[in-house]
Amino acid sequence: MDPQLFVWIVARATGVAGYIALCLSILSGIALRTSVLDFLATNRALRSLHDFMTWVWIPLGLAHAGSLLLDKTAQIAPLDLVVPFRVSYAPLAIGLGTLSLDIVAVITITSWLRRRLDDRAWRWIHRASYVAFVTLFLHALLSGTDFSSPLISSISWSAALGIGLLAVSRIFFGRLPE
Amino acid sequence: MPSWSLKLSALFITLFVLAGSFDYARGHVKNSSAPLQPPIADGAAASGSAATASPGPTIGPLLTTRPGQRVPATTPGPRLTLAPGVQSASLAPITLTHTS
Repeated sequence: MDPQLFVWIVARATGVAGYIALCLSILSGIALRTSVLDFLATNRALRSLHDFMTWVWIPLGLAHAGSLLLDKTAQIAPLDLVVPFRVSYAPLAIGLGTLSLDIVAVITITSWLRRRLDDRAWRWIHRASYVAFVTLFLHALLSGTDFSSPLISSISWSAALGIGLLAVSRIFFGRLPE
Repeated sequence: MPSWSLKLSALFITLFVLAGSFDYARGHVKNSSAPLQPPIADGAAASGSAATASPGPTIGPLLTTRPGQRVPATTPGPRLTLAPGVQSASLAPITLTHTS
């Protein structure tokens, strides 16, 4: 297989898989603190899953970004991975992905440094994961090459719907205390 | 439910999606309905140098393909066949079709 074709396929596959892994991470995180699912609050396995999924989506996200860097057709520069809306074509669609990556990186790093941070500050930073998910979903919708595939589209929409439902239920039925 | 089974299930789901989307992308290299159709860097550079060499008007590539992608076979256009007795004349071509 041609190397350029290979990196293009890897970029697409890791993009979809990274999205699903991040959805599972967010779903397990919201489920832990939603009063509707209070029976899960003390579930150590779910908490463990939430922490574990970080180590699943990070390599997939890195592979997605790295393969797009190598892909000559994508024309993504290293700075585009950090600074959003810089790409010459479709700056919004691609920039939303960069923005999502930035937010998720901040959330992950602050979670690793949680013991050194004020608890309230950490919580507010962690809530930015909702924003990160919305930007990620819009990035997938506006730039996802495979989003038109019925199967991939249904998986992506189902994951987004699950997160949306849990987020709304958390707003209406409250949040469980730590 | 034990922690390891949850983790294993989530990992399995992710890997399944990864393998499935890899297979899908390999089978659908060029997606004409994809929202983004970035210009091809090498192709653009090549056509740019060609445009400077020939001063006449040129049209861009009708079909963009990625490196390694098989180019679909083009179908020949309609051909005009003349009866054996018909011969070409050295007259000016008829461009006016209006009749009063």
